Amino acid sequence: MVADEKSPLQSSLIKRRDLIRAALFASAAAAFTPGMSFAQAISSGLTPAALGEDGSKFLSDPNWKAVFLNEHQNETLVALSDVIIPHTDTPGAKEALVNRYLDLLLSVQPAELQRQFVDALAFIDSESQKQFGRDFRSLATDDQVWLLTSWAYPRLPSSWMEREEKPDPGQKHFERLKALIAEAYYGSEIGQKELGWDREITRGPYEGCEHQIKDHT
Amino acid sequence: MAQDVLQQTYDAIVVGSGATGGWAAKRLSEAGLKVALLEAGRAVSAREFTEHVPSFQLKYRNHSPEVMRTRPIQRQCYACMEYNYEWFVNDLENPYSTPPDKPFTWQRLRILGGRSLVWGRQSYRLSDVDFKAASRDGYDVDWPFSYADLAPCYDLVERYVGITGAAEGNEMLPDGQFLPPMKMSCGEIRLRESIKKKFGRTLTIGRAAILTQLHNGRAPCHYCGPCERGCVTYSYFSSPFTTVKDALKTGKCTLITDAIVSHVEMDTNANKARGVSFVHRTTKETKQVRGRSVILCAQALESTRILLNSSTREYPKGLGNSSGLLGHYLMDHVVGGGASGTFQDLKILPNANPPHRPNGIYVVRYRNTPAEGKHPYFIRGYGFQGGSAPEFNMGAPGIGADYKKAVKLGTYDVSLGAFGESLANFDNYCEIDPKLTDAWGIPALRISMAHGKNEAALMRDAGITAAEMLEAAGANNIRLTTGVEMPGMAIHEVGTARMGNDPKKSVLNRFCQSHDVSNLLVTDGSCFVSSACQNPTLTMMAITVRACDHLVERFRRNEV
Repeated sequence: MVADEKSPLQSSLIKRRDLIRAALFASAAAAFTPGMSFAQAISSGLTPAALGEDGSKFLSDPNWKAVFLNEHQNETLVALSDVIIPHTDTPGAKEALVNRYLDLLLSVQPAELQRQFVDALAFIDSESQKQFGRDFRSLATDDQVWLLTSWAYPRLPSSWMEREEKPDPGQKHFERLKALIAEAYYGSEIGQKELGWDREITRGPYEGCEHQIKDHT
Repeated sequence: MAQDVLQQTYDAIVVGSGATGGWAAKRLSEAGLKVALLEAGRAVSAREFTEHVPSFQLKYRNHSPEVMRTRPIQRQCYACMEYNYEWFVNDLENPYSTPPDKPFTWQRLRILGGRSLVWGRQSYRLSDVDFKAASRDGYDVDWPFSYADLAPCYDLVERYVGITGAAEGNEMLPDGQFLPPMKMSCGEIRLRESIKKKFGRTLTIGRAAILTQLHNGRAPCHYCGPCERGCVTYSYFSSPFTTVKDALKTGKCTLITDAIVSHVEMDTNANKARGVSFVHRTTKETKQVRGRSVILCAQALESTRILLNSSTREYPKGLGNSSGLLGHYLMDHVVGGGASGTFQDLKILPNANPPHRPNGIYVVRYRNTPAEGKHPYFIRGYGFQGGSAPEFNMGAPGIGADYKKAVKLGTYDVSLGAFGESLANFDNYCEIDPKLTDAWGIPALRISMAHGKNEAALMRDAGITAAEMLEAAGANNIRLTTGVEMPGMAIHEVGTARMGNDPKKSVLNRFCQSHDVSNLLVTDGSCFVSSACQNPTLTMMAITVRACDHLVERFRRNEV
C-alpha cells in the first residue's frame, strides 16, 4: 500500500496512533515522579515501575561496586560473558554490563543458587588451570574459546564402545553460566536493540499470515 | 470517607468491584437503585499502568526481592510482576491454610477492578452440553437454567464489553456477538487446517475481551502486548474504566474503597440481611453500611469466607448455609496437559517489535460431545489454548558470533495447553481456619482441594491428543506433558455456593439468591454448579446481569 493513498483503514490507523500518543503523553507526564527511592516507592502502594523510576541507572554508576561477587569472580564473569557474547558488528555482553546486573541478581537469590553460580565460575578456573596453568580471566581469547567450545554443544553418547559415558560436569556448569549471561544480555537495552527492538510501543494491527492457505498444509 | 456515606440506607450493597461487582453496580444503579459499591483495596488510575515500560528499566528485571518476600504465592501467577505487584495482595497480610498434602494457590487482587485488571481476557460461552451435563453422563446435577435462559445476558454483556472472535457454528462453544477477529499466524493456520482435515476438530482464534475497533468510546488495541500491566487506551475490558465508571456516572452509586468486608449484618427478626460490616484497610476501624439487599461479588472464595464469617444463632454453620453445602464443591480448571514443538520449515524471523497480538488460539472441546459419544476413560472434556509464532532462541547452542546469529534466527514454536473440567466434588471445600486471621483480624480460610482421577485422565488424554495434532500439522521436536498442576493455578475458582432448585441441595436459587435469606445474593463464580472447561468470567458476568435484573424486578414489585 502506498503511504499517501490514505485508504479509510490507513487514515483510521493514523488517527488511532495520534490518540494513543496523546494518551501516552498524558499518562507519562502524570506518572513520572522523580527522586523517589525504592523504599519510598514500596511504602506508597505503587511499584517503582508505576512511579516511572528507571531501575537500570545503577548499572552505569561510575562508582559501581559489586555487592555479591568478589573481584576475581567479577573479572572472570566479565571475561566469560565477553567470549560467550562478544562484540561483533553489534555490542556484546561486556558493553551491556551483564556482570553488574548478574551481581545484583545473585545478591537476592537463595543461597543454593548463589553457591551453584560461584561453583561454576570456580570450575571454569580449575579447568583453565589444568589445561593452561592460568586462571580463565588471564587466558588469551583463543584459549578461552578453545576451553569453552567443547561444552557449548549437546553431547552424543560414544558410538565406539557400549559404555555409559559419564556426563561432563563442565557442561552443566557452563550451561548454567551461559543461560544467565544470555538472560542478562538479551534483557538489557543493548540486548533488546540487538534483537531489533526499536522503542516503538505500538504498530498494528497484527496482520498474521499473508500466504495462501494451501501453502501451509 | 465522609461520614454521611455510612449514615444512609442503600437499596443494594455490592461487595467487590471486579468483573461481576462492576456489572452489579452498573446494572442496579442504571435501573435507579441506590447502590453502595465496596472495594477492599484502593482506587486505581491509568497513570500507574506500566505496559510500555521496557523490562530493562526494572531494577531486578522481574526478580525483585520485594515481590519474592511479600508475594511468594501471588508470584506463582505470571501476571504478578515487578511492574504491578502492588495490585496483588500481600501474602504476609492475607494468609490462608491448606492441608500439607493438598497445596492450593490462591491469586487475589485488592484494588478497584480486582482481577479484571490482570485477567487473561479469554471469553467463551458455556453451552447446554455444559448446563445439562449431568443429564447426559449421570454425574452430579444439571444447572437450574439452560443456555436459552442465559443467552440474552451473554448477548448484552458481549455487546457492551466487546469480544473479538470468529463464529464457528460449533455446538460445544456457542458463537456470540463478536467484534472482528484477530488474525492467525502461519503456524496457527497450518494447525487449524490440519486438525480440521485429520480429526474434524475446530481451532479458532481466541475469543477475547479486547477491542479490534472503536467500541463504546474505547479505542481499539494498539498491540503493545502485555495487557496485564494495564492499558492506557482501555482497549481490554476491566471494570474500573467501564462498568464501574458507568455506575458512578448515574449519580446513584457510591464507591467506598479500602473497605474489607468481614461479614454480613443480619436483621434476625425479619430474617433479612441489613448491611455489611467492614474493617478499613488503613485505619483498621470497624464500620457498617446499611442496605435493603446485599450482593456478594468478592470472588468465589472471598464471598464464601464472608458468609462463613457471618454465622448467627439461626445460621451457626455460616449465613445461608442451612444446606450445609456452603464452601463445598470448590472447583478450578485442571491444567498441565499439552504439547509443544517447532515448525522447522517455516522460515519467518522473530520480531522484537509490535504488533504483539495479546491473544492466542483455542481448540474447541472434542471429547464426550453429542457427536462423538462417550469416552471410555473419563467424562467431560477440555479445550486448548495456545499459539504459534517465531521466537528468539536464547537456548541455541554455541558461543560467540554464531550464537548471536542463531538467537536472532529463532525457532518457529507451536504449543497447546489444556484447560480441563474440574468435577464438582463435595470433598473439595473451604472452611474457616479457627486459628488463623488476616492482618485485619478477620478469620481466614482453610482450603482443601485436590484434583481426582477424572482430571488426571483428562490431562493424560490432552497431552497425547495435543501431540497427535502437532504431528498432523508437521511439527518437529514434539514434547508432551500429561501432569496435573496444583489446584488454583488456572485461577478459575468456582462452585462454593452452588445454585439449584432444591434448598437442601444448593445454597442459591437460579437467580443467585440465597435460599435462606431472600435479600442476599452471590453472583460471582461461587454460584457455578459445574466448571465446564471454558474460561468462566464471561459466564459470571452474564449470570450477574441475570441475577441483578431479577433483583430489580423484585424491587419494582416491592418484594425486597
